[in-house]
Amino acid sequence: MSADQDIFDAIVVGAGPAGLSAALRMAQGGLNVVVVERGESAGSKNLGGLLYTTQLEKLLPGCQERALREGALERAVSRRRIVYLGEERHMALDFGAEAWSGAPGNHTWTVHRPAFDRWFAKQAEDAGANLVEGMVVDELVYEGEGQARRAVGVRLRGDEEFRCRVVVLADGAHGLAGQAARKELGMTSPHPQHFALGVKEAIALPAQVIEDRFGLAPGQGAALDFIGEPFKGLIGGAFIYTQRETLNVGFAGRLDSLQKVGVEPGEVLDRFKRHPEIQRLLKGGELLEYGAHLIPEGGIDCVPQLTGNGVVVVGDAAGLVNMSLYKEGTNHAMESGRLAADAVIAASASGDFTRAGLASYEKAMAESLALQDLRKVRELPAVLEGAPGLLGEYPDRICHLLTDWFTITDEPKERMQKRAVKQALGGLSKLRLARDLYRARRLM
Amino acid sequence: MPDLFSMTLEDKLYRTRYEPDSDHPHITVKEEICRSCVGKPCVLLCPAHVYKRKPDERELVLVSHDNCLECGTCVQVCPTDSLEWRFPDGGMGVKYRH
Repeated sequence: MSADQDIFDAIVVGAGPAGLSAALRMAQGGLNVVVVERGESAGSKNLGGLLYTTQLEKLLPGCQERALREGALERAVSRRRIVYLGEERHMALDFGAEAWSGAPGNHTWTVHRPAFDRWFAKQAEDAGANLVEGMVVDELVYEGEGQARRAVGVRLRGDEEFRCRVVVLADGAHGLAGQAARKELGMTSPHPQHFALGVKEAIALPAQVIEDRFGLAPGQGAALDFIGEPFKGLIGGAFIYTQRETLNVGFAGRLDSLQKVGVEPGEVLDRFKRHPEIQRLLKGGELLEYGAHLIPEGGIDCVPQLTGNGVVVVGDAAGLVNMSLYKEGTNHAMESGRLAADAVIAASASGDFTRAGLASYEKAMAESLALQDLRKVRELPAVLEGAPGLLGEYPDRICHLLTDWFTITDEPKERMQKRAVKQALGGLSKLRLARDLYRARRLM
Repeated sequence: MPDLFSMTLEDKLYRTRYEPDSDHPHITVKEEICRSCVGKPCVLLCPAHVYKRKPDERELVLVSHDNCLECGTCVQVCPTDSLEWRFPDGGMGVKYRH
């Protein structure tokens, strides 16, 4: 390599929440950073959803009000609803707090990712990071052999190679360059990742209609999670998030369960949308967009080795997704990006970018919120495989109990209620119930 | 205009913005390996119906790569590893707005 060729301190592959957090932090730390994004612009390969912002606050303290003003955030989630959909019945737990409205609120927002990611990329640029959009990193560039093999840059499609001291692999769940790099550098993973597929629609409705249907004041948002009949036999469920003038309506389910049941993911989403309870929420809406994305949901047992010689892995590429009721991914992505950046900054001081030199990232991650939470729900995938009744049979029994309890007839209440309880418990093994309920705590 | 609840996948994809890189297919099927796969899970699980069995040769698949949402499901579920998959050129492919 010629001496006059620029060497970046770090090249970040992927301008999502993880990559941009790393870039922003490294730029704040005075490093010379470039982020390469294959999409036309940051966020253009992603759809809307829920965004937790406690980690964003660590990178840009007090930024939420500005982000809201500048259109990066849509609505503050002040209301959550967990719904069981039976064939012709439903049951919901609906809760919220006025204190969750506005900024900082509950650090829970609905977003359009194309808008949020663009805004976040701008923050990283303002801090001094370089952003290169519309370029594909096909592979990393390596030097050395055996244990000393290390990444020294990236090769852009149709362009030259760019050299750097560290590559930040933030290329997401379907990150081909990152996966190849981990193999090339002998980075291990305790278990192969398993994936869920999310399919999602953006549906336009006037703001006033959204607020009326979901019981919201202007600016307030709702996040609804659904389990039940439309997802029978599947490990998965659906969701509706309210943005200002759109709804995100989607289904996410484990690929292996979809394959086992033999159903198309899009068909499950349609079945969900056609449930009478859901039709009432969506009617009159206009479909703007349809999309799909993989979600790594193997949990902590599938989190790979996070550092290698000249590389760190962050975000979805590292499988940092909590698929319990919190459905937390972007927040963990941002935390991992920040911690990886701190390790790169520390390595820059010592000049050692080998795995050993970057080890402070692994150490920081071991104590991170992300891995503490993933550790807590370690058994979640196994629980969902072993006790499918938790998402189907049990809520269905409770739903029947409630609707039977409140079915008004001439029958005396005492007799009617006894029968409802008997029916709800009918054919239920107490032992299995006790075991499954004990397991259910892992869903939280 | 089809009703929100009766739209086909084709209707939905029509609403989604793409800049297809039609001259450079980003998915290539290694047919000699693909042929040995009986189940063809890609046909069932691809959320954009990119894969269809060839009408005249059912043990092989036709690829409509212009519809691809770049999610990677096919690569994950292909049991024979017969897909050569690379990203569309920079700035091409699907472009989400929402």
